Amino acid sequence: MGSSKVNPPPETKESVWLRRSVILSFWLVAVLLGLPVWWKTTAIYRAELPLQTMTDWADGKVCKPVFPLRIAVEVPIPPSEAQHLIRTTQHALDDLNEFSAHHLRLMLADSPWVANTSQQIVSDGTTVDARHEEDIALLIRLIQVGTGNTPRSMLRAYSPTLDIYYAANQLPSPSSTGSPLATFMAQELHKLFDEEQALLAYLLSTKSKIPTAKVKSFSPETAAELERQSTIAFKYAPTYHLTFSLFTPTFIPSDWRIESALKQYISPFLDSFASISNFTIDTQVQLYSAYSPSIQKPVYDEDQKAWLLRKEDLSGFINAAEWPLSPSIGAGPTVNFVLYVPDQAETPLLVQGSGANSWLIPQWGGVVILNPSGTDKFGPVLTKQDLAPAMHTFSDQLMSLLGLPRAPASLPLRLSTLVRSRAASLLFSASSTLGALARLYNALPSIPIPDKVAKSVDLTTAHLQHACDNLRGGRFRTALEHARIAEAEAEKAFFERSMVGQVYFPDEHKVAVYLPLLGPIAVPLVMAALKELQSIIRALKARKNA
Amino acid sequence: MLSFLPLLLFNALIACTAARSDYHERLLLRPLPQSALLASFTFRSNESSGAFEEQNFRYFPRSLGQILQHAHTKELHLRFSLGRWDASNWGQMPWNGAREGGTGVELWAWVEAGTEEEAFSRWLALTNALSGLFCASLNFIDATKTIRPVMSFQPEGDHHNMSRLHLLHGTLPHEVVCTENLTPFLKLLPCKGKAGISSLLSGHKLFDASWQTMSIDVRPVCQKEGDCAVEIEQGVDMVLDLERAKRPLDNPIPRPLPIEEISCDGSKPYNAPDTCYPLTRTADSSWSLNEVFGTSLHGACPLTDDRDGNSHTVCINVQPEREIQVKTAGEYDESRSASETLRCYKLPVGEAFDLVLPEQQMTTGLVLPTPPLYAARSINGHGQERGSVQAVIRNPSTTDAVEFIYLESLPWFMKPYLHTLRAVIDKSEGNPVKETYYRPAVDRRRGSHLELRVVIPADSSLSLTYDFDKAILRYTEYPPDANRGFDAAPAVIRLLSPRPPDRKGVYTRTTSLLLQLPTPDFSMPYNVIILTSTVMALAFGNIFNLLVRRFVGADEVPSRRGLRTILQGKLERFKSLVKGP
Repeated sequence: MGSSKVNPPPETKESVWLRRSVILSFWLVAVLLGLPVWWKTTAIYRAELPLQTMTDWADGKVCKPVFPLRIAVEVPIPPSEAQHLIRTTQHALDDLNEFSAHHLRLMLADSPWVANTSQQIVSDGTTVDARHEEDIALLIRLIQVGTGNTPRSMLRAYSPTLDIYYAANQLPSPSSTGSPLATFMAQELHKLFDEEQALLAYLLSTKSKIPTAKVKSFSPETAAELERQSTIAFKYAPTYHLTFSLFTPTFIPSDWRIESALKQYISPFLDSFASISNFTIDTQVQLYSAYSPSIQKPVYDEDQKAWLLRKEDLSGFINAAEWPLSPSIGAGPTVNFVLYVPDQAETPLLVQGSGANSWLIPQWGGVVILNPSGTDKFGPVLTKQDLAPAMHTFSDQLMSLLGLPRAPASLPLRLSTLVRSRAASLLFSASSTLGALARLYNALPSIPIPDKVAKSVDLTTAHLQHACDNLRGGRFRTALEHARIAEAEAEKAFFERSMVGQVYFPDEHKVAVYLPLLGPIAVPLVMAALKELQSIIRALKARKNA
Repeated sequence: MLSFLPLLLFNALIACTAARSDYHERLLLRPLPQSALLASFTFRSNESSGAFEEQNFRYFPRSLGQILQHAHTKELHLRFSLGRWDASNWGQMPWNGAREGGTGVELWAWVEAGTEEEAFSRWLALTNALSGLFCASLNFIDATKTIRPVMSFQPEGDHHNMSRLHLLHGTLPHEVVCTENLTPFLKLLPCKGKAGISSLLSGHKLFDASWQTMSIDVRPVCQKEGDCAVEIEQGVDMVLDLERAKRPLDNPIPRPLPIEEISCDGSKPYNAPDTCYPLTRTADSSWSLNEVFGTSLHGACPLTDDRDGNSHTVCINVQPEREIQVKTAGEYDESRSASETLRCYKLPVGEAFDLVLPEQQMTTGLVLPTPPLYAARSINGHGQERGSVQAVIRNPSTTDAVEFIYLESLPWFMKPYLHTLRAVIDKSEGNPVKETYYRPAVDRRRGSHLELRVVIPADSSLSLTYDFDKAILRYTEYPPDANRGFDAAPAVIRLLSPRPPDRKGVYTRTTSLLLQLPTPDFSMPYNVIILTSTVMALAFGNIFNLLVRRFVGADEVPSRRGLRTILQGKLERFKSLVKGP
């Protein structure tokens, strides 16, 4: 205990300065070099996305779709009078229209009358050659007749042509601003495109965030009907696969004359659809395939003399576990058509309540229960006559599943309506997918965003812009094509697989792995810095006191 | 003893085909020695090639048909196998081995394509689609598991443009075949296991068998020019142990019989009444279809063609004097052929059908055909660096030499040395290898592929050996159960002479091999990180302290109120408190 305490000699200024600069330089290396390197090497790659543009698209700030429809009018009267008629009709039409985005524009077609008189007309942009221009939505042919009820109209079923018969005195006089013919034409056109306007207005108000001040109002029934139609229909695709399947719980019938039935009942419809989508058809026969065992057995009803399926069981009718209804290989959705021939002991099999024998399954396909007529039995082979009622139902179901509107009566007009509504809905869905991706980007900072996603986003916005421009220009087919590509690219970007991978590898893991290195290095650094700070503070205090 | 003629006849019977849409099915039962029973199910249907191209499917399954069209596959052979065929006891395989596959999954197909790359991409599409259809890991057949055999396989169908067809072959020896593969298999059948012989197939019994193979063969068949059909043949061959199969499903654990039911050897002295020397049973044991398959046969599948006696779908190959009782409520028909050793039954439609064979003391037996070759293969050597493979192939015939193709498809991490290949015949000199085709492995890109054409003289055996190196895999390349080992695919042996009786050929396969590779400790990366970190931290700490510390004499250390002095002070105060003033 008697050891003498000797104080160490006071430190020189140089050695203190040296020690402090050593500690400082270590800290500088760690903070300025170590941390950035660590940060850089463990960072997740996130490609730059044009977030503002994406949000703008989703909010409908970039593109407000308009649908200018061009309607050619063919009149057998001199051009000046014709122009006057068109002007008057256009006025009447504009007064009737409540939905500004959907606009009908009348144009004078090169009429046969002009050709006959071999008069040269300088094309000033207001006349079109209606027979060759495919962007013309409708051709109105005015035909002067002397007899019959005038004016009257007739819509052709297989070409986009409206014939209007009029009497000579119904033409507007050059001085007047209205005429019975012009009013009639305007009303006819308005009636013709009423449903399409409702459909587009519905799409615009429900599927997009575009602020639509002047939207056509529609009744709740119309809205419900439009809602129902849009939930039934498939998304637009360039190719659909149609699968026709015969299911029966026994082994009779074991064959069907499906080729000839398809040729007669389905092919004509598909041919007219060919300009929008392609179709592949496959068929199969499946025996010993009863409906799903999980639903209640049908009950025999004495009044209807039929076995009745409960309505709530229809959704469970498809035996998904046993029926081989896998989707066809290749891009595009598969539309399933199921023809079910019930067991002999359960014939006729009908749906309770409605007594129907067929129903639609939204975005999946249609089911028809085929009962033999009267007391007959089906033979081992179903003939074309046996299949006829089922095939009619299938083609009706196919129209609903493809989203083809019910009116007007002319098939080409309905198809072009379909093109417009599909282009609009694809445009909206691609835009909203972009918006969702932008939100995802902000909400999950830990997921990697590869360059592929940025590229897809760029492609999407480019094609969306094209689609929008083409809509404005009235080129609806091209718009549809661009909107489809935009939609596909947007989906590709949103469902990019490599974005999911690292969500489950959080920052805590990285720290845990490197802790054996960081811990032992950080402790002496921190301790030395603290000690030095302490001595500096002590020296400062000492100087103050002194 | 009776000669074994029936099986060959039977093969010829089912081989006749027609180019129209039709369906056949047939079940052949054959008792084997040691109370085993061979059951061969065959289902065959046709679709005219016109209807097939237009995708109008009637008997041909749509799901499979679309896959074949999508992948441009003209001929397909798919096998799911389990267990080992005991050739020394059971004799020749059913269908001469042409419907057998190696353990696990084996797939080979002729794919139509312009170039090799295109063929391979279509092959990948095929394996991926089949993987989904059959719930098997077929999608793992990648470039490393795919070979292009040169001599081992011949197309069974009639092809027009052979020059555009590419043969690709892939195996998954590790795949465990189970019920989830049987269910999609049954779904492909027109009668779906609801009627006909397919109603006997249940996963419980099939995958409990000593040996089983499920096969699917698709090939184009042309009667004459332009009159073509696509034929699909599905088969299930299984060998059931009768005693094991007869155990009820709800009580599958074998228990000793009560002593009253055991026949004891009375010639021996017993010291107590509860002891017994059981007599070995000489009689053929009793069994019935219901007992053995666990389900009843729900009558005939009514789609079968009625012509040419094809409607007799259940056949049993036993001695003529063997008693068989037929139990059914419906009408059936029995026909006997092949000197009465083959009995076939036409099943009633919609009525259950059962065959009961009571226990019977037999004086004669059926002669089993000897297989043309016996093959066995094993891995020799020790250690984790290298090993060798030995295949022993024996020709049992005393008169004919046998010529065959021997095909090995080895994984890339098993690297054979071709110069160590030795083929030795025990009874004669000279090199039995007539032709060699070898394609060496490329690491992580493709496996080795070895094909040999070999001749073995009569009554002698060939021993084929070669050495190989074991590669060390990357950390991430090991499967989850790395210590179990890696499976090497079975070798395929195709007979060239004596000439096979039909286009299907005669095949034998060896068992698969289990290859042990050096397996790392899988916590290694974390250990490495920790060790490196510790070393770096040690070095850093030393240098840092040397630079920062101030060195003073031992007596110059400033006194500090350390933990010890604080504790001492506390202790002093406590002591003084206890002692009191």
